[in-house]
Amino acid sequence: MTRLRTNAADLVMANIAGRVAPARIHAEAMAVDNDGRQRLLPGTGGIALGVHAGDPADRWVADHLMAGASIEDTAGTPAVAGPLHLLSAIGNRVRDGMGHTIGVVAGKRGGLAPGFWAPQLVGVEISDAVAGRLMPEDRVVVETVGRGLRLLDYYEIALSNVSPRLLDALPLVETATGLQCVVCHTVPAELAGAGLGQDSWIGDLEITDTAAVPGLRFGDLVAFENIDSTVTRYYAPGTVSIGIVSHGPGHASGHGIGVTILATGPASRLQPVIGDGGLGPQLVAWATETGAPE
Amino acid sequence: MATNAHRLITTRIKAQIQPGSANVVVRPDGISQTLPGQGGVVTGIGLGDVASRWTGDHVEPGVSLGHADPAANHAIRLLSCVGNVVTVLDGPTTGARGTVFGKHGAVLAMFAPNTVARLAPGESVAIDAQGVGLALEEVPELVIHSCSPALFDAMVRLDQGRLRVGVAAILPSIAAAAGIGMPAAMFNMDLHSWSAPVAQAAAPLRFGDIVAVLDQDHRYGRQHRPGWAMVGIVSHGTAIGGGHGLGLMTLMTAPASRFEFTVTDGARLDRLLQLPWGAAA
Repeated sequence: MTRLRTNAADLVMANIAGRVAPARIHAEAMAVDNDGRQRLLPGTGGIALGVHAGDPADRWVADHLMAGASIEDTAGTPAVAGPLHLLSAIGNRVRDGMGHTIGVVAGKRGGLAPGFWAPQLVGVEISDAVAGRLMPEDRVVVETVGRGLRLLDYYEIALSNVSPRLLDALPLVETATGLQCVVCHTVPAELAGAGLGQDSWIGDLEITDTAAVPGLRFGDLVAFENIDSTVTRYYAPGTVSIGIVSHGPGHASGHGIGVTILATGPASRLQPVIGDGGLGPQLVAWATETGAPE
Repeated sequence: MATNAHRLITTRIKAQIQPGSANVVVRPDGISQTLPGQGGVVTGIGLGDVASRWTGDHVEPGVSLGHADPAANHAIRLLSCVGNVVTVLDGPTTGARGTVFGKHGAVLAMFAPNTVARLAPGESVAIDAQGVGLALEEVPELVIHSCSPALFDAMVRLDQGRLRVGVAAILPSIAAAAGIGMPAAMFNMDLHSWSAPVAQAAAPLRFGDIVAVLDQDHRYGRQHRPGWAMVGIVSHGTAIGGGHGLGLMTLMTAPASRFEFTVTDGARLDRLLQLPWGAAA
């Protein structure tokens, strides 16, 4: 794997406290799916026992399901993305109130209309052993680092939600013209749904046709064609946005599999290539390690 | 046309003019700008004025209506329909009449220019809300949202099972931006009105224009679905953040084969309806 020149050594690390989100049913969410059928399925908040990075994202009968524990800011309301959400990056270590490592940030969910429309959650990959003792509303601390991370030789490429160790783990290869990234699927911009127009660091952008991306797993990389996410996620011909599968299918109109954005730039510089772009095993390995923080 | 309009109830709803906002927005190029935003009373912009020319972010011309009680506000958001009459209940313009013309977070209403000029946030209005439940017997696949029977009758002609609708523009599905995934009977859908190929078609659009977007299914929420189409009305002005732009509020949706769209200059609210202040262009 290419070691890219970055400013990682100069990033601020901050321990941010939050809690395991309670399981919630949001009354304002649409009560029917995209074919008008009654829709009430688990998936929002709490702890999804036995669901892990690397599992098929559409395996479970659930809605917007994230693997492991869903955590959130404690100040404000579930509609507001606070510092825990805004500073967390994928690969950040998460510990419990006693200081024991419980897992690793694996994705985000939300960003439909932050500040106004709940929820804004951060997904944490945890082992089954940790899941067995973790409780909703338990205090957690995220060792955040990643805000401000840049590729010093690729200023056209913007990163979001990427910790330094995630960057090192991404399947990136330098070519004569730019950076190649292995992804599991490419997605046309027409299939980009909920999450358009919102901050790339908040929540995710959803793939509205699950059938178009068969076999996707939690932790897989995908590329949205003609979507720019430098600041917010939107349609911009000639750009590309690469992200990581953070939640399973949402069934309401305009919703689907969630992708938390990691990198964006001109398609001439950031080039997705189809392959096994799956980071599930890496996330699981990080979640179970007990070593010193990065 | 055999609609069920004669069976629809009219609910009188009281609403208040909402405070205005200053939106702090980071543009895609990283520049942060603070501009007049949604809400409040926006004077000097009327139905039929070009929507993208104003230097604002999600600007709602006329007045923006809501309620402090969340459930009452939800009723305003859901039950108000374009073409419903709005009457001012207090303040210097008491008794003035206007019309609902769109939705965003609030319900948007327009009055005569000299009325808007004297209105202020906090004043109360009554909306005679009618339209939710509107359906057309002969086209059961058609789903209508936020559209009064009066506007529906003025906007749609039924011709051998097909709905003939005049529109100001026909846009591709990629026009759809923020608002995808939200309930179709509330709020609206921003357009990618800065990005090619939408930008060119969106530039001349006016407040109150009727616009079609292809391959969009808005029966429940707003979503991309090949073979469907939606018809909406231009409600709020442009916005500077990526994924935001002119606001198009859903009026109806059906399989595209049920529609026959014609681009015409008359596809605008101020020409389709006799406005309550008698100033139809």
